[in-house]
Amino acid sequence: MTNAEMNMGLGAPAPKVIAISPDAPRRGKLVVAFLKEYLVLIMIALLVGITAAVEPKFLNPANLINIERQLGPLMMVSLGMTFVIIGGFIDLSVAGTINLVAVVTISLIQPLGQGTALLLGLGLGIVCGALNAVLILSSGAVTQAEALFLTFGMSTVYSALALLYSHGSTMHFWDMTASKALFETIGSGKLGPFSVSFVIFLVCLALLWFFQEKTVEGRFIRLTGGNKTAARLAGVSIARSIVTIYVLCGFMTAVGAIVLFSRITTAAPTIGLGFETNAILSVVVGGTTLLGGKGSVLRTVMGVLLVTLMSNCLDLINVSTYLQVAVKGAILVLAIWLDNRKQA
Amino acid sequence: MNLKASGASLLKVATRQKAFIAIVIMLVGMLFSHSGFYTAYNLLDMLNSTSILLILAFGVTLTIVSGGCDLSIGGTLVVSGIVAVKLLNVMPMWPAIIIAVAIGAVVGFVNGFLAVHQKTEPFIITLGTGLLLVGIAQQLTDAHPIPATNPDFMMIGNGDFHGVPNLVIIMAVCFVASYVLMRFTAFGRNLYAIGGDYEVARYSGINVIRTKWLAFVISGAAAGLAGVLLSSKLNTGSAVYGETTALVVNCGVVVGGTSFAGGIGGIPQSALGLLVFGLLDNSMNMLGITSYYQVLLKGGAIVAIIWLDCFNQKRKREAV
Amino acid sequence: MDGVGSDVILSIKDVSKSFPGVRALDNVSVDVHRGTVHGLVGENGAGKSTLMKILSGVYERDAGTVIFDGQRVERTTPHQSMQSGLAIIYQELNLVNKMSVGENIFLGRFREMKGMRGTHAKAREILDSIGCNIPTTRLVADLSVSEKQMVEIAKALSFKSKLIIMDEPSSSLTGEELVELAKIIQQLKSQGISIIYISHKLAEVFEFCDVISVMRDGRIVDTRPTADFTRNDLISMMVGRTIENEYPPRPQCVGAPLLEVKHLNTRKLQDISFTLHYGEILGLVGLVGAGRTEIVRALFGADKVRGHEVWIDGRKVKIRKPMDAKEAGLGFIPEDRKLQGLVLPFSVESNITMAAFRKFSWFGLIRKSLEKGIAARQVAALNVKTPSTRVPVRNLSGGNQQKCIVGRWLELSPRILIMDEPTRGIDVGAKYEIYMLMKEIAERGGAIILISSELPEVLSMSNRVLTIFEGRITGELIPERSSADEIMSSALGMARVTA
Repeated sequence: MTNAEMNMGLGAPAPKVIAISPDAPRRGKLVVAFLKEYLVLIMIALLVGITAAVEPKFLNPANLINIERQLGPLMMVSLGMTFVIIGGFIDLSVAGTINLVAVVTISLIQPLGQGTALLLGLGLGIVCGALNAVLILSSGAVTQAEALFLTFGMSTVYSALALLYSHGSTMHFWDMTASKALFETIGSGKLGPFSVSFVIFLVCLALLWFFQEKTVEGRFIRLTGGNKTAARLAGVSIARSIVTIYVLCGFMTAVGAIVLFSRITTAAPTIGLGFETNAILSVVVGGTTLLGGKGSVLRTVMGVLLVTLMSNCLDLINVSTYLQVAVKGAILVLAIWLDNRKQA
Repeated sequence: MNLKASGASLLKVATRQKAFIAIVIMLVGMLFSHSGFYTAYNLLDMLNSTSILLILAFGVTLTIVSGGCDLSIGGTLVVSGIVAVKLLNVMPMWPAIIIAVAIGAVVGFVNGFLAVHQKTEPFIITLGTGLLLVGIAQQLTDAHPIPATNPDFMMIGNGDFHGVPNLVIIMAVCFVASYVLMRFTAFGRNLYAIGGDYEVARYSGINVIRTKWLAFVISGAAAGLAGVLLSSKLNTGSAVYGETTALVVNCGVVVGGTSFAGGIGGIPQSALGLLVFGLLDNSMNMLGITSYYQVLLKGGAIVAIIWLDCFNQKRKREAV
Repeated sequence: MDGVGSDVILSIKDVSKSFPGVRALDNVSVDVHRGTVHGLVGENGAGKSTLMKILSGVYERDAGTVIFDGQRVERTTPHQSMQSGLAIIYQELNLVNKMSVGENIFLGRFREMKGMRGTHAKAREILDSIGCNIPTTRLVADLSVSEKQMVEIAKALSFKSKLIIMDEPSSSLTGEELVELAKIIQQLKSQGISIIYISHKLAEVFEFCDVISVMRDGRIVDTRPTADFTRNDLISMMVGRTIENEYPPRPQCVGAPLLEVKHLNTRKLQDISFTLHYGEILGLVGLVGAGRTEIVRALFGADKVRGHEVWIDGRKVKIRKPMDAKEAGLGFIPEDRKLQGLVLPFSVESNITMAAFRKFSWFGLIRKSLEKGIAARQVAALNVKTPSTRVPVRNLSGGNQQKCIVGRWLELSPRILIMDEPTRGIDVGAKYEIYMLMKEIAERGGAIILISSELPEVLSMSNRVLTIFEGRITGELIPERSSADEIMSSALGMARVTA
């Protein structure tokens, strides 16, 4: 609170005594509230409906499989991002992390074998996340803005490391003689009617949802995002929450990176381009507020679905990739603006 | 305006900055490097290549001093440049340039609306608008640089006036204009007041919303101008620099001593801060450091700078 | 002293102002004459700051009239009120730290002053007129408090103010600086400027003021020329009231020492040491800004401190952060429940259970049924009025919100409960309930550290009281044996008293 605010007593006397109304809100209000809550779901339904009508190719099984495949990496990253945002922070380093994890993991398949490479790749994701957390904690950054700049900077560093490590070159599966079966399964294998990546996604979702709803740690993260000061005074360790959210995000980002390069069987050091904006967009569109404290991985799933479906639909009606970027930017701005108005 | 007094205060400002020390260190370091650093050609070239970033920095400084920030400058930069190049095909040069700069101002207006009037967090909302603009820029060029068709246009960015490159002259003019704006006009002083203490400024009768909004408009216009100049220099309209520029410029401004907290800093400080980056780039080139390492070092420098700024804020908060 | 003669610069008649549950001003009437220094005294919460805010336009009065310089004052803003000649110099100075003195004086009036040159020149002129020689280019951040005050006075003068209200002007001044201030006040007076001098430092009030008004409970108790008052009169008027069964009987179960704090030092606090006993309610009495909240926050680990010692039950305890305090058996109900205590958009249930995870989790997993049970239990025990525990806590009234925070800590059965302004902004009924709660806690052997700006509350509930003044403990008294006057004097730094 600034001095002027103190003088003007903006911290001052009694709060409004709001009568607790036991009666249900009027019907009209209920409808509006319903619409607001499930806006995203409704939009998905509309989008699917319209596109299916306009472009029958949309409902082609090949296209649907394509969509399902595309969901994987973004889902992973966005799920990880969800926790960072619920905690009241943000992570713009995911693109760089993807770049780094992809090139490092793929390069280790030949010398160390696929199992080790996988584990090390995941470990690297954790390390990147931990590094982000350390930087934030050590600098005493407390606001989302500070975290944004720090992680944005780290993205550059991780990307640069990826470029250096790979010497700017792309590695392909077909260049390697060692077995890549594990990754191939992840990328294109099937488990019954579902793809392996979808199953991985479901497992991750279940675990993360469980973490979010049923664990103490998950609740701590929510409290940290809801009101850092109050949480701290109630004995919640803000530092631990920060470490948890960034390490988790780093790990999920690594998972996403592995699913990504497994699917396309190559890893270029720029493979992660655009993921940070897509992830944040998915989380915000899904309904998790950037202000923190509220939100859910389930909402993010819907957000990713919407963003991916939208890309797919726009592709089918021949809208260029670049215009899609512009559209995404516009939606991000819109979503943040509306979210801001809602929370005020 | 007493020139001598202004000069003296400018010098005082310069020496108090850590950026100044960083520059001195680098300059001294380069003395020992046996590279082609200390040639008139190189030094002028360095100033030339940093000019565009400097113009961006001058605009952004206004927003940061008043407590906000503008991460959309990269997007504005490329869109304006591309629009200018495209318009050259259908209209004379000057109208095309004016429209391009005006687009920057419009972008700034929208940013101001969202960040100031609607009170959305500036850092994230300008990130969004920047993204939108980069997308538009890429769409407009189909990701291939568009060549400019007007030879006079190219001369703006590449010509010189008695040996001094046009860009440097334009940058100098912008420097003086923005310095005067920040230091000698009510608008500029009010920006400092708003950044220093929003409520005190408001209670003193300053129209905080209109002033902060205008800062965004100017930042956008400056980015528009920078975009036009960049297109002129490269003689193409390209979307390439859209994504990384914002971070570099904002950090350069912070290095120079304008904190994200607002209320302090200014144009000379920002200039110094950007020169640190310009010098860093140039030195790295001269020393033959490969470009990937350059990116790494620059990224690391950016993180270090922001980290220091945050740490400084923390120190002030927790003084026991 | 009535009627609006041309000799009255400010006439306040029957001004009232209420907030939900609180009547801040109750038919306040007072006249301030031109060229006088009019003192205004009263304890925390008496209504002085509310009155000021109505004068400056931050609040709107509910009833009554205000006539300033012959003009009725209707809806106004702080800036307009400054321009009309009524200036307020706040205790927390209203300056932009990062800007220069000259610019602060003419903040927002750069153009009128014709730029930097004009600003600094005129600023120099005004500062010289009050005998202040601070360079106008110096940053406000580099000034001492007394110098900052000079700048504020200069600011008021730059608006050609006819009435300057000074709120606690001398709270951070040294003896010498006080002499300077006295000179300036005399000078302003001789220029025909009227001053309202709000202060707890009765010595200065007596020295500077021609007339004194005493406020208490939102009313003006009396207004008399200074000569007609004695210090004791003032103090009695400030605190005296009939206590009508507002408080339960004081618990009488003080036992062995439980907590010892030694040599607590921070930027604001100087060598604080005290003891707290089982079953004791210890009150901290002092002016706003004296350091009471700083003491408890330091104890709770919420702020950084320099080398203090905390002993609980004879064992030394390290408290570096709130989590440590919690482990050691402390609980803390903060001053500002909305900003520091509650997570407003979260449910009543979440807010109540948020400190008690150990009790409803099993190897890191939440057991919802246990959580629900805890919330239900506290809601019932504390009589929290809410339709369900799932509604957002922001829907509840202030009193019920406060009970949620109390319930949060009671669930942990803390040995030591710190309550900072526990009944602020709460209706009378809820207040009594909280008092009863405090009594119960004490009777069960728990100890309470109570901070309250309502003197009667602290005096009625506490077994023992520490008076804090300017970061030091100035007295230790027993309310049963000492009078309110004595305690107030000690809190005003006027005597070192140990009962």
